[in-house]
Amino acid sequence: MMEKKHKKSQHSLVREIKDNLRASPDLGIKRCMQCGLCTSNCPAARHSDYDPREMVKKVLDNNLEVLDNPDIWNCFYCYTCASNCPVNNSPSLINQILREKILNTGGNVSRVAEFIEFGYNYVEKGVGTIPSTFFQDLVDDFGEDYPKLKHDLPDIRRKLGLKEYNLKGEAAAEVKNILKASGFTQRLEKLKKIA
Amino acid sequence: MIIMTNNSPQVEYIPPVYKEKRLRHSKNPDKIGVFLCRCGDNISNIIDMEKLKSSIKADFVAEFENLCSINCRRHIREEIIEHDLDRVAIVACSPLTHLKTFQNYADPLNPHMVEMINLREQCSWVHTDQEKATKKAIEVTRAGIEKLKNAQALDKIIRQTEKSAAIFGGGISGITAALSLANQGIKSCIIEKKPTIGGNMVKIGKVFSPEKLAEECALCILNPIINEVINHKNIHIMTRTNLLRAGRKATHFKLILEKDTGLVHEERCIACGKCAEVCPVEVPDEWNQKMTTRKAIYKTFPQAVPDVYTIDRENCIECGMCAEACKMGAIDFKLKPEVIPFQAGNIIIATGHENYDLNKRPEYGYHRFDDVISQMDLSRILGVNGPTQGELLRISDGKVPDKVVMIQCTGSRDEKADGKRYCSKVCCMIALKHASIIREHYPDTEVVICYTDLRTVGMYENYLRYVQDKGLKLIRGRPGEVSKKDGKLVVRVEDTLEGKPLDIETDMVVLSEAIEPSAGTMRIARKLNVGMNQDLFIKEKHAKIKPVNTDMGRIFVCGTAQGPKDITDSVAQANAAAAKVSEEIESGTEAEPPVAVIETSKCDLCGKCRNICGFKAVYKDEENMAVDPMACRGCGACAGQCPQEAIEIKGINDQELYAQIKALLSDKEEGEIRILAFLDNVGYTAADTIGYNRINYPEAIRIIRIPSINRIMSHHLMYAFNQGADGILMAEYPDECMLEAHKAKIKELTEKIAAEGIPNDRLRFYKAYAPHYRGLNKQFHRFYEDIRAEAKI
Repeated sequence: MMEKKHKKSQHSLVREIKDNLRASPDLGIKRCMQCGLCTSNCPAARHSDYDPREMVKKVLDNNLEVLDNPDIWNCFYCYTCASNCPVNNSPSLINQILREKILNTGGNVSRVAEFIEFGYNYVEKGVGTIPSTFFQDLVDDFGEDYPKLKHDLPDIRRKLGLKEYNLKGEAAAEVKNILKASGFTQRLEKLKKIA
Repeated sequence: MIIMTNNSPQVEYIPPVYKEKRLRHSKNPDKIGVFLCRCGDNISNIIDMEKLKSSIKADFVAEFENLCSINCRRHIREEIIEHDLDRVAIVACSPLTHLKTFQNYADPLNPHMVEMINLREQCSWVHTDQEKATKKAIEVTRAGIEKLKNAQALDKIIRQTEKSAAIFGGGISGITAALSLANQGIKSCIIEKKPTIGGNMVKIGKVFSPEKLAEECALCILNPIINEVINHKNIHIMTRTNLLRAGRKATHFKLILEKDTGLVHEERCIACGKCAEVCPVEVPDEWNQKMTTRKAIYKTFPQAVPDVYTIDRENCIECGMCAEACKMGAIDFKLKPEVIPFQAGNIIIATGHENYDLNKRPEYGYHRFDDVISQMDLSRILGVNGPTQGELLRISDGKVPDKVVMIQCTGSRDEKADGKRYCSKVCCMIALKHASIIREHYPDTEVVICYTDLRTVGMYENYLRYVQDKGLKLIRGRPGEVSKKDGKLVVRVEDTLEGKPLDIETDMVVLSEAIEPSAGTMRIARKLNVGMNQDLFIKEKHAKIKPVNTDMGRIFVCGTAQGPKDITDSVAQANAAAAKVSEEIESGTEAEPPVAVIETSKCDLCGKCRNICGFKAVYKDEENMAVDPMACRGCGACAGQCPQEAIEIKGINDQELYAQIKALLSDKEEGEIRILAFLDNVGYTAADTIGYNRINYPEAIRIIRIPSINRIMSHHLMYAFNQGADGILMAEYPDECMLEAHKAKIKELTEKIAAEGIPNDRLRFYKAYAPHYRGLNKQFHRFYEDIRAEAKI
């Protein structure tokens, strides 16, 4: 039986997103009907000029201006859009891929600078822990309960019979090796340098 | 031949009388006549007719200028009679165009005693080398004659469908279909699971009329039709009745129905309502979308048909007060459901739809907020016989809302879990209808419709303009959430045309709920073994040309059981289904071979034949497996599956196939290439079209017409390879309902041929499409060139 050959579209933002490792094969980006359900539910859209529907529109139009729009950095990956989208699209995921593209070309690295420590924690301890620079924000948000929890956590864990959560020894070394081999560590270094 | 007399509507079937067959292997073998056609010079300009003629060994050979002309009809008949011919070969053009003509010309002979040999479309029109074409013509003719010698005389299969129909579902579709059939004199039975007929239409209050640009009273339109149904002598109505089991026979269905009595003797009840007055049990009333209550003994609505009270067993506490109040002695707590055997020639599925469960979209708060309602709820509120007597009032406080926001596509056009991927088709019009009524009667109430696309197709666009003129706000955006803030409902939506997120404060939210297949539709499809589509509506046999047939013979579908549609379309489809039943009864009496026949004594009831048959022609008839000849296409998939070799395909037997294969390869010379092409009807049509377009392909291609590749077994192919075939091409149209069988067949043949040591590129499969004859031609060339290239190495 002859195989039907599908013609592949030319290079475009949509193609780039569909081909990205993060995107599932049934990502409904091309089926977007611009209904705006994502924007109506988007907390970032409520508090800023970010408009996920418009972002998707620009991607579909292959309008590279979308990369220069500072509003796309206001998404904080709550995935409400992804879980509501009637055509199985995920503006949140598209956003991630766009940011990755921007970062790869060296742009907007300052946006992720404060997360770099998160990556290093991962390399060193094998778990991602909240960067220390966020401490004050959390205290502002949660009040005195936060430092108290931080302080009491080892005791609480002991009482609950939970073990140390930082990886140690062989396991930690293994994670470190994987991160190195996969280019994660190198990427971290690169971002740190530019930042 | 069907003879109809004026004074009787009865159809009498008289089978045709053919010339008596000679006994096979008798001393006098069948006499064969061969008629050659020059087709003007379409055939004779390439093929040396003298050479061809002298090569033919037969009892009679003659050559004509135009064999299909009406003059030749006389010639053919005369020669048959004069020479006492038993079998006739017509060496002319394609059987697709003229087989019926020549079967008719050879009238005293059984149609299967006529074989057409296609020298025009598949020889003279596609080859230019006279010598090679003549050689091929001689061989193709010989193959045809060999096939003819092995042909079996078959009689048409006659069946008379019983003149009756069972219609499942008593909504507008079922009622319409029943009435149409009954008016044609066909006994129809409406089987409805609910206590009353009328379906969804009795609930909706008003219907939109794009013609008059107005809303009309649904019940006023429906009531006269229902009355006609009740009084019709050819219609029987069974309410509270379910299908338990269904069996299929050659001419009818045997159904086992269960009729629940509702604990009331229908014939005694006079619907005085005294029982309901005394009944102490109050439950939410589904008729009013649970916005009001009814008693445990009730009548759905005042105009309900049949006009009797019925007990809702789930809620009845059997206190006996109703029985005491009933002067007619109609109530009987000992009444048991009745099991009724029922027989019908045809079935129409009109089981309708249900409304989407809005709890599956909790973000819109249907159950959290009183004033978030569905369009069906709004229908009841706006209905003069509804909970508010037609006043637009909020459920929470009984006040007229200042603003109503409607949310379209609730559950429709939604790929998410629990969503319906399709468009429910009617909701745009329903929303506009309600907007129109509200704006008409409550000019101070603002109506906002949040939509993704407004689908007011065809003439309905006029209705949209009419409602827009009444004042309507349209917001293009799909709301994400309905919440409550300071006592007001808030609809959160992006106005996508403005690119701005909005929080719309409102007093009432109406959700345009999706239409989904009813539980009854799915249940009946399983019981009757009728195919459903992926959204679980009944699947029509062909979306374009067979919209009311199901994949089962004599079972038809109409209305929303088949997919979302409005009343207009449901009625049109119901009438079409009735017409199809009528057609089945009046003329669905003949089937032509090839068909599969099961030899019951060999059959061990394994059921493999039934599983493979995409036409659902195989069924179990009480204790035996049987084939419905009307549904069977003779493709042979079942024969290939049968471990007992109990199935024969009448109309193209093994001897015919072997004879053709052998003859097509018999004069192959050293160094010559031969490719056999087994083509189904579509493939054969494509090959003919190559001829019409006078496109050349190598003479090495020799075509055998088959009903389907499923007919071909590995032993046929091995026989061909052993006789000298260099390659075999099998081309077939990928018929949807047989795709699985095709795949299995291709796999089976490929594996078996490989096991015999034949290189795998010598057996090729191709998906044939009638208009894509160039594709088939390319296959012919490529196959030939590949083999030639290989031979050179």
